[in-house]
Amino acid sequence: MALIIDRKPVTEDRWQWPADDQALPAEGPVVLPLARWLEEAGALAGRETGVQVNGDDDLQQVLALQDRVSLFAVEFPAFTDGRGFSIARLLRRGGFKGEIRAIGDVTRDRLAHLERCGFNALQVPDERYSPDVLQAFDEIGVHYQGGASLARPAYPQS
Amino acid sequence: MYQYTEVDQKLVDERVAQYRDQTRRYLAGELPDEEFRALRLMNGLYIQRQAPMLRVAVPYGLMSSTQMRKLAHIARTYDKGYGHFTTRTNIQYNWPTLESVPDILAELAEVQMHAIQTSGNCIRNTTTDPYAGVIASELEDPRPWCEIIRQWSTLHPEFAYLPRKFKIAVTGGPEDRAASQVHDIGLHLVKNAQGEIGFEVLVGGGLGRTPVIGKQIRPFLEGRDLLSYLEAIIRVYNLNGRRDNKYKARIKILVNAMGIDAFREQVEAEWAEIRESDLRLSQDEIDRVKAQFAPPAYEADAVNNDLNAQLAENDDFRVWYERNTVEHKVPGYRIVVVSLKPYLKAPGDITDVQMDTVADLADSFSFGEIRATHHQNLVLADVKQGDLLQVWKILNANNLARPNIGTLTDMIVCPGFDFCGLANAHTLNIAEQINEKFEQVDFLHDVGNVRLNMSGCINACAHHHVGHIGILGVDKKGEDWYQFTLGGSSEADAALGKALGKAIAADEVANTIEKILLTYIEQRESEEESFLDLVRRVGVDPFKEAVYGADH
Repeated sequence: MALIIDRKPVTEDRWQWPADDQALPAEGPVVLPLARWLEEAGALAGRETGVQVNGDDDLQQVLALQDRVSLFAVEFPAFTDGRGFSIARLLRRGGFKGEIRAIGDVTRDRLAHLERCGFNALQVPDERYSPDVLQAFDEIGVHYQGGASLARPAYPQS
Repeated sequence: MYQYTEVDQKLVDERVAQYRDQTRRYLAGELPDEEFRALRLMNGLYIQRQAPMLRVAVPYGLMSSTQMRKLAHIARTYDKGYGHFTTRTNIQYNWPTLESVPDILAELAEVQMHAIQTSGNCIRNTTTDPYAGVIASELEDPRPWCEIIRQWSTLHPEFAYLPRKFKIAVTGGPEDRAASQVHDIGLHLVKNAQGEIGFEVLVGGGLGRTPVIGKQIRPFLEGRDLLSYLEAIIRVYNLNGRRDNKYKARIKILVNAMGIDAFREQVEAEWAEIRESDLRLSQDEIDRVKAQFAPPAYEADAVNNDLNAQLAENDDFRVWYERNTVEHKVPGYRIVVVSLKPYLKAPGDITDVQMDTVADLADSFSFGEIRATHHQNLVLADVKQGDLLQVWKILNANNLARPNIGTLTDMIVCPGFDFCGLANAHTLNIAEQINEKFEQVDFLHDVGNVRLNMSGCINACAHHHVGHIGILGVDKKGEDWYQFTLGGSSEADAALGKALGKAIAADEVANTIEKILLTYIEQRESEEESFLDLVRRVGVDPFKEAVYGADH
């Protein structure tokens, strides 16, 4: 996986992503799917954690975790599944300042929209990554809407 | 009309460059089919039965003469010399090549046009009344609001991958020429008890496989809150709409499943969070857009003209005047409907020469503007009464003055099996059959207003459910058959048509319509009782009997 954080390629992912059948790593930051995170909340106390969510999860449960985790990984099971865009908007609106990472079917032609909705980390499959992917952010330089990173929309400015 | 700012122009230019690169990456094999499909659809490009089809946006149906000439140029240069106006007041080209589309888009951008979001699971072109700003019954011109919605919805980062397409229509008064009650969101400008103007908001209307009339979600919304309320509705839909079955993915299904009250509760809760945000429109912002739709410089002496004498002298002109023109709110002016329903031509089609003609007429006689209508015709909205005879002569010489507006042959028809990859049955041959059968203008005028809508498949692009007579083409073992409904309407009295009976064979469609119309003429109480009135009074049974015999 090629990881982009704040528009820059990052070679090392500091987060650990144990599979469902793997035990919790003894130390270090760890990301767990929502159900497992809730299950193991006790064991995670005091550790830096992230939670992996998707559009089927209970959004209220997800939003309630924003003071307890430092990363939300929002899954895109298919690039056409637009729920993740709204999830990121709601997380940022709730005041979450940590990392919001898009994972799954995350590719070039959605990166700019993802960023505007509040994602600062984008995990692109290796076979779909090349350095020119980074140009996606600047293809459209003006916007009519506000977003997570832009308070005033272009419409009142124009 | 609205003129692009630097921001508007930059956005459209950059979108062209972006799409050009997307096309390049697709042709180079870097972009999978499935992804390019979504991207090209969001830019209006379908791959159809014969060739790609490009749908160009005509925001709320309004065009300048310059834009119309560009559309003619594109038809001539990249297509086979014609285009097709749709019920969303857009124009479609049926024969461009995939490789030429970036160049077409670049040409469109030169005249402040684009194909953004004319397809795909995103917010589509907002439609409105083709008589906006010129009809006396209007409370307020809806077009500034449409333009505000256009900007807000264009390349909206959160709503580009909705469960399904999303359509908004706005009306400016009690009459509904925008089919607003069968839209995902219908917005009606209304006056509240305090005399303030705002929006009644409907949600969850639609046609297709599951036709539904929209339900009121809010009786009154202040104009300044328009965008926050739209955003709240669409966010709730984006998060909760079904994504497992594309036929159950429209907002109407969600609203029906939750019930309008529970849906409203969620929307209002979300709205409470964002109502006071940057989405609130300032009066300055609203006024700046409204100023771009200020009325043109009408001439007070337009009332002095020879119209009455001209009408008395020329029967053909008079018949056209009575059928194809509409009262204007300014004395001395008239609204002219340009019929795109000529004899034996595909409804909504227009040639490059005709487009240039209409552009010239707009420049000479209607302040350089043209509107497209939901009924697939064009409108010259501001013609002086004294100019009507000349306008008629030119339209007539260009096959654009068939006096059939509002009559049976003013049909809404989708392109059907001849062009569309989704269609199950042909429609254009049936439209011809109907035209041949009902060539007699006198008979049509005696019958009066009848809305005939014919779709070639269940997706209902021609809105057959809300035709006074609706026809749906179906495929039965490789043969085209046609199901009839009666009594539908997309206007203020919106209703879904009721089924007439078993499907009709292709060569019997026009005969069946004749039986229906003769039944109407027999049973109406007077000429004042319209076809729709009669169907509502007596139901479908008398028509069933006439079509299928007593033993139906």
